[in-house]
Amino acid sequence: MLSMIKQAGTPADAKRGQSLLLNISAAKGLQSVLKSNLGPKGTIKMLVSGGGDIKITKDGSVLLHEMQIQHPTAALIARTATAQDDITGDGTTSNIITIGELLKQSERYLAENVHPRVLSEGINLAKDRVLEFLEKFKQTKNTLDRELLVSIARSSLRTKVPVPIADQLTEHVVDALLLIRKDDEPLDLFMVETMTMQHRTDGESTLVKGLVLDHGARHPDMPKKLTNCFILTCNVSLEFEKTEVNSNFLYKDHEQRSRMIDGEHKLIAQRCRQIIELKNHVCDTPDKSFVVINQKGIDPICLDMFAKAGILALRRAKRRNMERLTLACGGTAMNSLEDLTPDLLGHAELVYEHTIGEDKYTFVEGVKNPFSCTILIKGPNKHTIEQIKDALRDGLRAVKNTIEDGVVIPGGGAFQVAAHRDLLEFKDTVQGRTKLGVQAFADAILVVPKTLAENSGFDPMDTLIKLQDEHAKGHIVGLDITSGEPMNPIQEGVYDQYSVLKQIYRSAPVIAAQLLLVDEIIKAGKGMRGSSVPDGAQE
Amino acid sequence: MLSLGDMLKDGTKHFAGKDEAILRNIEACKQLSEITKTSLGPNGMNKMIINHLEKLFVTNDAATIIKELDVIHPAAKMMVMAAQLQEREMGDGTNTVVSLAGELLHKSATLLEMGLHPSEIVAGYERAGEKAQQLLESLVIYRLGDIRNIEEVKKCLKASLASKQYGYENLLSDLIAKACVQVCPKNPSNFNVDNIRVTKVPGGGVGDTTVIKGFVVIGDTDGTLKRVEKAKVAVFASGIDVGKTETSGKVLITNEQEFLSFSKGEEDSIKKTIEDIAQSGVKVIISGSTVSEMALHYIERHGIMLIRMQSKFQLRRVCKTVGATPLVKLGAPIPEELGYCDEIAVEEIGSSKCIIFRQNKEESEISTLVVRGSTNNILDDIERAIDDGVNVYKGMCKDGRFLGGAGAFELEMSRQLQQFADSTPGLAQYAIRAYAEAFEVIPRALSETSGHNATRTIASIYAAHTKGSTDAGLDIETGLPRSALEMSILDLFVSKQYALKLATNTACTVLRVDQIIMSKPAGGPKPPQQGPLDQDD
Repeated sequence: MLSMIKQAGTPADAKRGQSLLLNISAAKGLQSVLKSNLGPKGTIKMLVSGGGDIKITKDGSVLLHEMQIQHPTAALIARTATAQDDITGDGTTSNIITIGELLKQSERYLAENVHPRVLSEGINLAKDRVLEFLEKFKQTKNTLDRELLVSIARSSLRTKVPVPIADQLTEHVVDALLLIRKDDEPLDLFMVETMTMQHRTDGESTLVKGLVLDHGARHPDMPKKLTNCFILTCNVSLEFEKTEVNSNFLYKDHEQRSRMIDGEHKLIAQRCRQIIELKNHVCDTPDKSFVVINQKGIDPICLDMFAKAGILALRRAKRRNMERLTLACGGTAMNSLEDLTPDLLGHAELVYEHTIGEDKYTFVEGVKNPFSCTILIKGPNKHTIEQIKDALRDGLRAVKNTIEDGVVIPGGGAFQVAAHRDLLEFKDTVQGRTKLGVQAFADAILVVPKTLAENSGFDPMDTLIKLQDEHAKGHIVGLDITSGEPMNPIQEGVYDQYSVLKQIYRSAPVIAAQLLLVDEIIKAGKGMRGSSVPDGAQE
Repeated sequence: MLSLGDMLKDGTKHFAGKDEAILRNIEACKQLSEITKTSLGPNGMNKMIINHLEKLFVTNDAATIIKELDVIHPAAKMMVMAAQLQEREMGDGTNTVVSLAGELLHKSATLLEMGLHPSEIVAGYERAGEKAQQLLESLVIYRLGDIRNIEEVKKCLKASLASKQYGYENLLSDLIAKACVQVCPKNPSNFNVDNIRVTKVPGGGVGDTTVIKGFVVIGDTDGTLKRVEKAKVAVFASGIDVGKTETSGKVLITNEQEFLSFSKGEEDSIKKTIEDIAQSGVKVIISGSTVSEMALHYIERHGIMLIRMQSKFQLRRVCKTVGATPLVKLGAPIPEELGYCDEIAVEEIGSSKCIIFRQNKEESEISTLVVRGSTNNILDDIERAIDDGVNVYKGMCKDGRFLGGAGAFELEMSRQLQQFADSTPGLAQYAIRAYAEAFEVIPRALSETSGHNATRTIASIYAAHTKGSTDAGLDIETGLPRSALEMSILDLFVSKQYALKLATNTACTVLRVDQIIMSKPAGGPKPPQQGPLDQDD
């Protein structure tokens, strides 16, 4: 096999068919790597970067990104997965293994001298049929109740992180999205911020209905915890700024100089006083408090003034957070301090600071109408946090997809089993040799339930036949990964996302068909000699 | 079929499967735990480590050992991370985490050879871990009554200190208990470890270590005044000098007269400022930055003590000790901004001068342990022990429950988990039993380091437990079982609870990995650690 790969690198003498075998072999190789990750019982992989950082993941797209694939065919397939991830945020592993399996099935026919063109035509026909079938199979939901969304999020998250963490995140994900959901507006996932904290164990992630800022007050005497707070969000410099032009003071005696010193700070102090006045105006009773969150800096003297007035002031907040702050707390972000009125202020029930080691976090909680919220991920170490963070993103995407689609697909391999049967029926209506391509596609589609069974420790063929038998009785069946028996995915609350499946069965056959039609790999440019594998990935 | 290695960049290493990935990971973790295991307990051996900066460490503190070892293997690194987390969250019990996690993995290797699938082991370990957390509650043998009672606190601190500084535990527990009780706030759960300071002064012996109510800084005052009593203190974060404009300035002088008057003006302004400060009754000025010669002169003239302190953190602590607000602008302070200290004096300890801020009132914000010792290594080691002790106190402020030390808790846990394993059907029982047996590693290490026959001692302790004295632990002097409560060897509940969680978690994560992909190590020096975004606080 190796010699064959070597030959493929040299241009002209690569025999026809060998490049095809090479492509198939690469696709199968990639499939075998990712296969073990599929499903809730999949194993995890450990990636060690050049710098020695550890990453632990089950997520196909993360894995493909981190692996630094160089082989051109593998890179091509990996790119499909990236597209899958960009569009739907989930289903990368299924996509890769479907491509691999399609080529594997085709290989059997190729060995019997079927022309790749015939196969690719059949695959394309089958693709259209599967997509049609998907439309038939989907279950339209007019009302997306919380329970259904929880099921969706759970199905997605359990494939990424251990079950207890997944179940906990599920609730957070759904609650977060329901919180920020506005009618007639597309969901903006950026309104769900994920904040990470290296603290405690991974089971302690929480949903904060408000914001968590990753910095704290800059003055030791500022209050650490405030209730019933008015929040002023502003983008006003509260520190001395040098002039743009080169300037110089000239003074004759000491008095002039001290006047200059006072004068320099006057403007800033004036701004501070404006804010403090406003504070005194709105905080008429002692139970009210005031928080200033500034995108620009605040110098020590101003901080001191604020601290004395009992104001909690945060400086250099992130721009992104500024936008979300006004959404969460209400109020308007100020660019100047003129016409400062109480109705420009936001409001939060509770603002407090939390310190972990060197890092400070400020929590803004209990806001009026939270159109923005934060999921706080806690984890004992960086790699756990990263893993949860990646999973969380997928979970959010999953719920978003479902809300937008308005339809769900029963999961646990149910669609694949049903589609297989439908394709076999379709095959009988197809005339000629293209039948074979349809057959290859039909067999390939079963790879998902098969792999699910295999990863859960069951015999893939036995399990599959059980599923098919049950399906033949007219039920919708998925695989119960704990018992290995058929189950009703709708009852168990295992759902796939419509857009994910649609994307998989739209892109995987296309790539597979394309790869089948490649008959020669010609490497151009530099580095023709020497390397055994063509470096086609270089762009 | 193309193997993964062929698809990746040159130099990337790829390990997969049981033999290559899992067993190798287990081996690496075992190696690491072998290193720390011998340092467990009072008779634990010291390690001599020379780190990459050629600094010498002689210690038996697992956290330090692990920190200074430059571990590269990814699986072992995960164990290091778990240990570091334990250190950060609890400040004690790092060795328990590493030893236990190492032993769990070691046991799992045997199970793997038996033919169990890693996921089955993980499932078993997780179940056992949950059960252990439940059992933990029932194994509490002692509850701290009064967090402010020095005698009681002492008793609880002893076990943790004995494992670090065997022989000094009575002395140190007494000192730490005193220091902690002094600063314990009204609501004990707000106890902050930063309020216990340690100042190391080489010389003398560990026996000369003392507690001072207040704060100690190594250094000297700037003026001639070396001692004041019942003094009002003003703290200036800024320097004491004539102010400067942010915009660059120039003095335009055309003749001699102007020059003189400018200098005079400056002088007068300082004089006036210092006079104002002196008027407000201030006897001590602490500056966080430079003090001009001229200012010093006037300060001396008013009989005020001047202390300069370069570190802003120290400045903040002094503020806390005396209860002052740091001022950012030079000028006469208002009474609320002033602090008060009963005595500020420069004293010579050994050959180094220290400024001591003493407070005589009942409770003080900060107390300081002045540690003495013949070499820097001893000082560092004592400091680490004190650190652990203070963290234990912090832990007991939040949760005053204690488990039996000296291996008593571990063996009882092991015994009960083995019973649990016997009652569990299916393959999980093997993993649960292995989990239970892993707990033996701690009493085993204790008895081995003390020179006893481990198997025999463990058997005799088991026997004692079966007879009903479930708090029997190992008496390291005799090698015989003895009640942990009687010996007053107590381990903090929260710390153990956390250690168990982390150890289980780490072992499971390592077992779950079936493939490792390692990129080629990047060349060149490591990127510098990123500091906090703005530096000015």
